[in-house]
Amino acid sequence: MGNSTPREITGWADWLKPQRNRLLVLMVMAAIAMVIPLMANNYVIEVLTNAWFYTILCLGLNIVVGYAGLLDLGYAAFFAVGAYTTGILTSKFGMNFWLTIPVAVSCSMLAGIIIGGPTLRLRSDYLAIVTLGFGEIVRIVARNLEITGGASGLIGIERPVFFGIELSKGIHFYYVFLLLAICACYVSYRLQDSRLGRAWQYVREDEDAAEAMGIDRVGVKLYAYVIGAMFGGIAGCFFAAKMTAISPETFTFSQSVLILLGVVMGGMGKIPGVIVGAFALVLFPEVFRGVGSMRMLIFAIVMLVIMLYRPEGIWPRTKS
Amino acid sequence: MPLLFCFPVSVCCKREPEVLGNCIWNIAMSHLDIILQQLANGVILGSFYALVALGYTMVYGIIKLLNFAHGDLYMVGGFVGFVILSAVSGLLGEGWAAITCSMVLSMLAVGLLGVIIQRVAYQPMLNAPRLSILITALAVSMILSNGVMAVTDGEYLAFTTDLGYDGLDFGNVFISYTQLMLVVSAAVLMIVLTLFVHKTLYGKAMRAIAIDQDACRLMGINVNRIIALTFFIGSSLAAAAGVMAGVYYGSLHFSMGFVIGLKAFTAAVIGGIGSIPGAMLGGLTLGILEAFGTQLPFVGSEWKDVFSFGLLILLLIVKPTGMLGKTEIERM
Amino acid sequence: MSRISIALAGTLAGLFLCGQVSAADLKIGIMVPTTGSEATAGKDMENSIKLAVDEINKAGGVLGMNIVTITGDDGCDPQMATAAASKLVSSDVVGVVGGYCSGATLPTLKIYGDAGTPFVVAAANSTKLIDANPGTSFQINSTGFDQVNTAVSLFAEKGIRKLAIVHQGDGYSEDLAKLTKDKWTAMGNEVVAYEVVNKGEQDQSSLVTKLKSTAPDAVFWTAYYSDGALLIKQLRQAGFRKLIAVGDGSNSPKLLEIAGKAAEGVLCFSNPTAEYLPAAKNYTASYKAAYKQAPDAYGPLAYDGMKLMADAITRAGSTDKAAIVKALKETKDFNGITGAVSFTDKNTLAKSNFVVLVAKGGKWTLLK
Repeated sequence: MGNSTPREITGWADWLKPQRNRLLVLMVMAAIAMVIPLMANNYVIEVLTNAWFYTILCLGLNIVVGYAGLLDLGYAAFFAVGAYTTGILTSKFGMNFWLTIPVAVSCSMLAGIIIGGPTLRLRSDYLAIVTLGFGEIVRIVARNLEITGGASGLIGIERPVFFGIELSKGIHFYYVFLLLAICACYVSYRLQDSRLGRAWQYVREDEDAAEAMGIDRVGVKLYAYVIGAMFGGIAGCFFAAKMTAISPETFTFSQSVLILLGVVMGGMGKIPGVIVGAFALVLFPEVFRGVGSMRMLIFAIVMLVIMLYRPEGIWPRTKS
Repeated sequence: MPLLFCFPVSVCCKREPEVLGNCIWNIAMSHLDIILQQLANGVILGSFYALVALGYTMVYGIIKLLNFAHGDLYMVGGFVGFVILSAVSGLLGEGWAAITCSMVLSMLAVGLLGVIIQRVAYQPMLNAPRLSILITALAVSMILSNGVMAVTDGEYLAFTTDLGYDGLDFGNVFISYTQLMLVVSAAVLMIVLTLFVHKTLYGKAMRAIAIDQDACRLMGINVNRIIALTFFIGSSLAAAAGVMAGVYYGSLHFSMGFVIGLKAFTAAVIGGIGSIPGAMLGGLTLGILEAFGTQLPFVGSEWKDVFSFGLLILLLIVKPTGMLGKTEIERM
Repeated sequence: MSRISIALAGTLAGLFLCGQVSAADLKIGIMVPTTGSEATAGKDMENSIKLAVDEINKAGGVLGMNIVTITGDDGCDPQMATAAASKLVSSDVVGVVGGYCSGATLPTLKIYGDAGTPFVVAAANSTKLIDANPGTSFQINSTGFDQVNTAVSLFAEKGIRKLAIVHQGDGYSEDLAKLTKDKWTAMGNEVVAYEVVNKGEQDQSSLVTKLKSTAPDAVFWTAYYSDGALLIKQLRQAGFRKLIAVGDGSNSPKLLEIAGKAAEGVLCFSNPTAEYLPAAKNYTASYKAAYKQAPDAYGPLAYDGMKLMADAITRAGSTDKAAIVKALKETKDFNGITGAVSFTDKNTLAKSNFVVLVAKGGKWTLLK
């Protein structure tokens, strides 16, 4: 990968500067993403679906970590709340999948407020442990309660029907997650330079100065939390529908760390970087499948090398 | 605590209503036993947490890094101890002499490993964003655990020692000599560390770097060397805990560092991360909380982690810097 | 950035290319955990399946074709398992053998079902799998129900009234614990403690204190051997002298090795392992010759699973998946090393093969 900073790569970077050219590249990439599943086998579709799924989660966490600069080690909790809400409502109460989405999103946003509300006054590392604690609490509660199916989790979650078509094949979910990922990109992009986005940046760079300038420190952080939670909740809903079975093992601390890994390895606060990170997260272990039991070791070494040579992530945010 | 009493009363008296008077007396006595026994359990578990938490807190104090790989150093320590113990058991037997020997050697080896990790993976990252170095630590953690997995083929290793089951028996409270020895060794290590940090020049340098690294450099302190020393000490404490765990629990596995790493991290924050006495206090507190969490009334032991994490969050909301953490002076 | 795109394109291309096998072979998928905490058991199953394949190929293959295997690592994790299952299905395997962790196996049943791929589940036996089965999966390990029946009748025989049950907070052990609890209380007996040990937590002393305070006649551990050994050791150290029993996930010589003399007298309900199966002599010998170690608990079942699959393909007379599923369903007293295999209408083993083992002198021996 070399030591090159983005500024050294002049050709591409200059060509990409005009909005028109950027849009062209985006259109081409979107077209490729749309066409790929038509010629790929199930396995490739499954892996890419997974990659889009992590893209949504990473973009959600990116709002908390990348934009607002808060270290969150329990992001899987929001994802769990979304997945379990949908799971419980469809499998136990027979509710239509699409109707569960607003409920699930509200629940995960509520979780964001409950977690964030009292704790966002804490400074970074203490916040990290509190989020970690909440993540574990959510998982253990899901494991222990009757309604969440205990340790075995929920099975038989209803597959959504979309205009008469039951979404059951891998390719259906590929497009669902692709669409969600594109929405997530758009929302992230719009937030980035919004009034709120600039407030986040201020708080991230200098919390005290931001407060002195009249920014409600805790308030804007809470926004970041709730919006991040919303992303996680939506991803969770569709995850439950895709897997049809969910269990607490999916929502562990390692899952939260994995999502964080995608964000930081890709490039915090930079949308394309985060997408690259999410893809790296999913694709690397799959590519090394051939190596057998050593694959996680190789993945870890690759990760270390990437971080050593590109400490700001694969595709970092440019400093102004 | 009063809630704790309701539970056995209801259970016992439901079962044998005819001997109510007798029953209440029994409960009071048996309950005291349980409380004392759980306290002992908590202190033993807490000593492990404290030893590992010390490494977290020292590294955090000096370079503000949450060293995710620390729990894995504990695991590596256990394995190195196992290898050395198998090597020396022919010479020294499988008693305390061999264990002490393997513990000391494992501490040295893992201490060095800690320094190497710091040099290779953390040193180049010191000026990078703080989250990047966190991810590097995560990578190191995965390399260590997956590396050991590759070497051991994912097997559980049985750590055999002949220490026996004897111990101090106070009626229903029982503490084995092994447990006693472990708590004593943990205490000795912690006392030595406290003396080192407060009475030696190196310790002074360590504390100084935690306050202001640049000023230390200007004062002629070899900052890199002191950071390396901190990693050495932190890692060797984790290794000591790893060997003790091997001896006490009798099994080793490549994934054993994960849970204790998480718990020790929690303990370090409870105590106030960066504070050495805080890590010890935090470790003991968490150990005792967990022991009593198992005994929670009306619900099973499955809620004990919710109980301890819940209390942790409450504590941080009330006192945001942990039990002994210094309040950061906010720039205004 | 261009370099990043090239790297990404490269990885994508790699994904497309992997898993290519020549068309004349018969492809069978193996789905077991080869990484993660359960890797040991998974590799043992993989080895046994490959052993069976070697034997089949040496005898001329199936329908004149050589069998080749493709391993999909499920990592004992539901998400990794769905990727592994899709990989196997996309590699056009005609059948899959494996399945160790119930939690990871569960979501894959639907994937195989959608593809119509026959799946012989060799080890996983949570009762949740029965309901989730779309009809293409076949469980050749006795289900949790069988184990519970074996367990409670033994407890009743031993005159036990107050039972303490401990599980590990995962799908398999919770299922077994819950079934046992329901059955035991339905029989008019008492469950004095129903507890959980967190996976990987070594110190169980506080739980032991609590268990002792409820004075059970027996403690039943329903989860895996690694943490089970620690519980047994710590129970005995704390002076608990009554009966300790463990479920089939704890049937491993490692349990005895880790727990040492504390394990003496511990009972284990298990599917039959190689050393108690007269028919498995050859299997054990060739396993030892090939892999320089003794087979683990689920090796024989995995071996049988592969042999059963080959038998079904032969009986089907084609590599058509639907025909193989039909042949599997019609299996009548297939003569495996673990016993005769026939299926119920829910595709579970018709006749329980559970045995009771007791730890004696550092070894598991048959109780009856």
